[in-house]
Amino acid sequence: MIFDPILLTVQNLRVSFDGFVALDIREFVLHDRELRVVIGPNGAGKTTFLDVLCGKTKPDRGSARFDKFDLTHMSEDAIVKAGVGRKFQTPSVFTSLSVYENLMLALKTDRNVLFSLFSRLSDKNRDRIHAVAEQTGLTDHLHAPAASLSHGQKQWLEIAMVILQDPELFLIDEPAAGMTDEETVKTGEILQRLTMNHAIIVIEHNMEFVRQIARTVTVLHEGKVLVEGPMEQVQNDPRVIECYLGKHPETA
Amino acid sequence: MKPKRHKFLRAICIITFALISGAQSIHAQSDHLLQLGRIVSGNRDSITTAVKAIADQNDLAYYALMTALFNGELYLKNGELVVIGDLQEDDYGDSFAPLYTAYPQRQPILNADGNPLIAPLIDFEEIDSNRRIRALIQPYLTRMEIFHPDPIKRRIAAETLGNRGDVTAIATLRNALKKEPDSNIQNLIHVALGKLELTSPNPDIRLNAAKTLKERNNTFVLSFLRARIEPDANGAIPESNPAVQSEIRKTIQWLETFEQIMVVIQTTFVGISLGSILILIALGLAVIYGQIGIINMAHGEFMMVGAYFTFIVQNICLIVLPAAYIDLFFLLSLPIAFFAAGSMGLLIETAVIRHLYNRPLESLLATWGISLILIQLARTIFGDLTAVKLPQILSGGFELAPQVILPYNRLFIIGFTCLILIALIAFFFKTRFGLCLRAVTQNRDMSACMGIPTRRVDAIAFFVGTGIAGIAGWAMTLIGNVVPNMGQTYIVDAFLVVVVGGVGKILGAVVAGLGIGISNKVIEPFAEAVYAKVLILGLIILFLQLRPTGIFPAKGRHEDE
Amino acid sequence: MKMSKNTAMTYARPILIFLIFGIVAPVLNATGVISDTTLNLWGRYFCFAIAALGIDLIWGYTGILSLCQAFFFCLGGYAVGMYMLLKTGAQGVYGSALPDFMVWNRVEQLPLFWEPFHTFTFAFILGLLVPALIALIFGYLAFRSRLKGVYFAIITQALALGIYLIFLRNETMLGGTNGLTDFKTMLGFELADPATKRGLYTIAFTALFASYFLCRAIVNSKLGRVLIAIRDSEHRLRFIGYRIASYKVFVFVIASMFGAFGGMLYVPQTGIITPGRMDVQASIEMVIWVAIGGRGTLIGPIIGAVLVNLLYSFLTGAFPGTWLYFLGLLFIGVVLFFPDGLIGLTQLKRKK
Repeated sequence: MIFDPILLTVQNLRVSFDGFVALDIREFVLHDRELRVVIGPNGAGKTTFLDVLCGKTKPDRGSARFDKFDLTHMSEDAIVKAGVGRKFQTPSVFTSLSVYENLMLALKTDRNVLFSLFSRLSDKNRDRIHAVAEQTGLTDHLHAPAASLSHGQKQWLEIAMVILQDPELFLIDEPAAGMTDEETVKTGEILQRLTMNHAIIVIEHNMEFVRQIARTVTVLHEGKVLVEGPMEQVQNDPRVIECYLGKHPETA
Repeated sequence: MKPKRHKFLRAICIITFALISGAQSIHAQSDHLLQLGRIVSGNRDSITTAVKAIADQNDLAYYALMTALFNGELYLKNGELVVIGDLQEDDYGDSFAPLYTAYPQRQPILNADGNPLIAPLIDFEEIDSNRRIRALIQPYLTRMEIFHPDPIKRRIAAETLGNRGDVTAIATLRNALKKEPDSNIQNLIHVALGKLELTSPNPDIRLNAAKTLKERNNTFVLSFLRARIEPDANGAIPESNPAVQSEIRKTIQWLETFEQIMVVIQTTFVGISLGSILILIALGLAVIYGQIGIINMAHGEFMMVGAYFTFIVQNICLIVLPAAYIDLFFLLSLPIAFFAAGSMGLLIETAVIRHLYNRPLESLLATWGISLILIQLARTIFGDLTAVKLPQILSGGFELAPQVILPYNRLFIIGFTCLILIALIAFFFKTRFGLCLRAVTQNRDMSACMGIPTRRVDAIAFFVGTGIAGIAGWAMTLIGNVVPNMGQTYIVDAFLVVVVGGVGKILGAVVAGLGIGISNKVIEPFAEAVYAKVLILGLIILFLQLRPTGIFPAKGRHEDE
Repeated sequence: MKMSKNTAMTYARPILIFLIFGIVAPVLNATGVISDTTLNLWGRYFCFAIAALGIDLIWGYTGILSLCQAFFFCLGGYAVGMYMLLKTGAQGVYGSALPDFMVWNRVEQLPLFWEPFHTFTFAFILGLLVPALIALIFGYLAFRSRLKGVYFAIITQALALGIYLIFLRNETMLGGTNGLTDFKTMLGFELADPATKRGLYTIAFTALFASYFLCRAIVNSKLGRVLIAIRDSEHRLRFIGYRIASYKVFVFVIASMFGAFGGMLYVPQTGIITPGRMDVQASIEMVIWVAIGGRGTLIGPIIGAVLVNLLYSFLTGAFPGTWLYFLGLLFIGVVLFFPDGLIGLTQLKRKK
């Protein structure tokens, strides 16, 4: 297997809340165009990990080198500008706006105030919105208020918004939550298509889904990297079974 | 002017007066009669001679007489010297006055029935004095006031005697020192003696005086001391002795240090006092804000409710309780203020606030509306200005030094705030209900799952919060009037305390309250109170740059929306 | 065609409104049908409405409750007031070139900061620029440290209180409690002349009309969507890469300028501006105009501002002493029962 160049290097990352160590990662490396699934039981630090990468949480120490940047020292908007996009666990779209407007806000354009005030949407960008909407099955709902979408549709909208940001690195937290099996499969397909040009880190609980998309899996446990490797290998690792899979026989 | 009577009559009067005067030693009595006779004569020159003689004697027995003469209240009635009290007028416009004895003490003269005698003024002749006589009396009165039963008069007399530089007063002061029961006034007499003795011709006495003044910690003598060692208008230094000079310098140095210490103490005290008021107000706000995320704009008005209930209880007590126990109203009104404001809070919580949870900005507007209604209601019912009488026990203050007095009512509020703090912390951390409250604050959904009736917990938190506001109002009656908009005075500052302290943290409110209170008072000497306020706001905004969520922010992996 | 019919509809209503308020009303006043007082009152309401538009932008659209908008309103008002007072010149009671209150306070020389207000252009520019600058600095500090919601409301309220107290003082040379009054002329026109008043009314209405369309342009731009997105979920928007603080500062500055603009047009019509216009309650009252009319719409705040002030004029005349009760109930009622205001009510009906 020929690896693409390294995109993200996390070293000695440590996050604690009031003395409780939530995350303590010695090393984590992600290559360009790689799709990495992070799994682990509740409280393993998965979401905190993504929070650090997108600037929501500042770590006590450590670095997360992305391209020429260190994400741990950057503001949220600078991180987005550098090329990292985040989809949150619970969908939080802008409910007063239409689906179309939601997508428009996510478009990769200049984000400063004056540009927003005077810019008009170019035809190219309009086409892009329609294309992504088509891809995520939102075409029929483009002019409906986002508040009227079902939970699954909101997940789609979130994903569509991240796609429109066109980041180099996608951080995706539980994309399949609240989706039907059919939708889940479709999500997997979209993610796989995205890896042709982007790197993706996905957090997921749904093991069916993980099996569908995963090549390399990282298992977090109590804030630390427990195992890292191909899905089949991780699946059969006794430590993983003990800490995680063993406790969830119904999904294992 | 009444017509002058015949000289002959006057002579008889003198004799009569002599006969009714009490027994004294022959010499003293004759001297005494002589002086009284001179006064009774009404002749300016005789009076002047008498006054001079009396003034030299330093005899307290003449105090009432001399005061009356000084004030123009001394009259002659049937050859007897009397003092008249407050004038009254009858329907025909004639003046009457109650009568008092002039010597040796001012006592009411009674009529046959044993009631105070009130006689028409037309029957008496006034003993006139003039400016010269009054000028002669004045120093005597001041000297004698050092023995006056009223401690305030003694205090003023001690200061006046010290300032006047009349060395003859030293004997009087020494005499007074022996009789003085009040240690603060003793201290003042010492200071007065020191100042007088500093002008003594004897350098040893001056040296001692300088030492005395150093021990007495009275910074009001500073300017006097400086004048002693600095060249006067003629270029001469009043204090010539080098040893005394250096002793005076030492005293000045110490007193200046002492003055600075006192300024620090005073500022700190006033700051803590303001801070404790802010804390008292902010506590209730913090409880409610911490629990349901609502800033209760009507908080100041719940304070006002507490204050008005204190006022009502006082008025009822004035009717019901005997005068000796009247101050009990203050204790009685504490629980009433708490429950009145708390119940009103509960009512409003049920009617309005309940429907606005999770909409903090809207509830801010709604509670503002409530405050408008409450203010107008109070104005309609009570009018504009009422006040609660300060309980006797809390009037006055603790005298730390002659210039630093810590008023008891302020001290009380500081202590009371501490008490409420302890009670509140005990309530939060030692009771089962407090546990529920904290649980709901941390995780509402989980608490609900565990069977905690979150809605009821919210309501009780609101009750407690507004109840504490009522108590704050109760305490505020000690330092201000009870007016409909009294809640507005401190409320914006109290909001700031909550903001700076951090979301609903009790400890945060304490630190922020003290911080804002003290820095206000530290800045005030340099800038007007208004500018101090604006400056504090600037500092708060800068502070929030460093710690946007207050001194004690809530930490953890929270979704911030 | 569907398109053209829509266009006709969108233009017909504003033109009609402009005809009624901008042309017919002044003409009726000139012919004596509408009294000078009524016209003047409405002129003032329009000024309030301009300020209300600003509040709507920041609160209705962006969800930020600013409780110091009356302060910005007064800054604009004071700027024009200072200009007019200087133009009064020696016509004052004391016959001095200095404003009367300065003579009263024994001030002998015009304070330096009054100098630019000799010219209308400077007064006008400063009247807009000073509030904008204050909003810029204050907003930058507040929004940079992510002060929001109740916190921001309280901090702005404290600001309003602080400035109010400063304006009350005599040594700040702004007339103290009595404020600025006794204006005589404005750009050479006699203020007492009914024709001038009519002119001021027309300018106020035209300004409101223009402000409305300016706000509409802002709201309909992409920036308008960003503002709404901030209201819905500022947190989410941050992770799409928007620098929220800049947008908030922008809208705060714009709102302050609308406030100041309203104040500028207001003072020549009332002939007086005092610190009482900017006390803590004044700012909250302005918010309630927007709430009553319907926040998040542009016509709502205009209706709200005019309606509440009409009610105020009526109630203080007919039932003195009841206004505060009524206002209090308005606050509670609007929040509890019709959070979307009157516009929300009509929309609800239409849906049914």
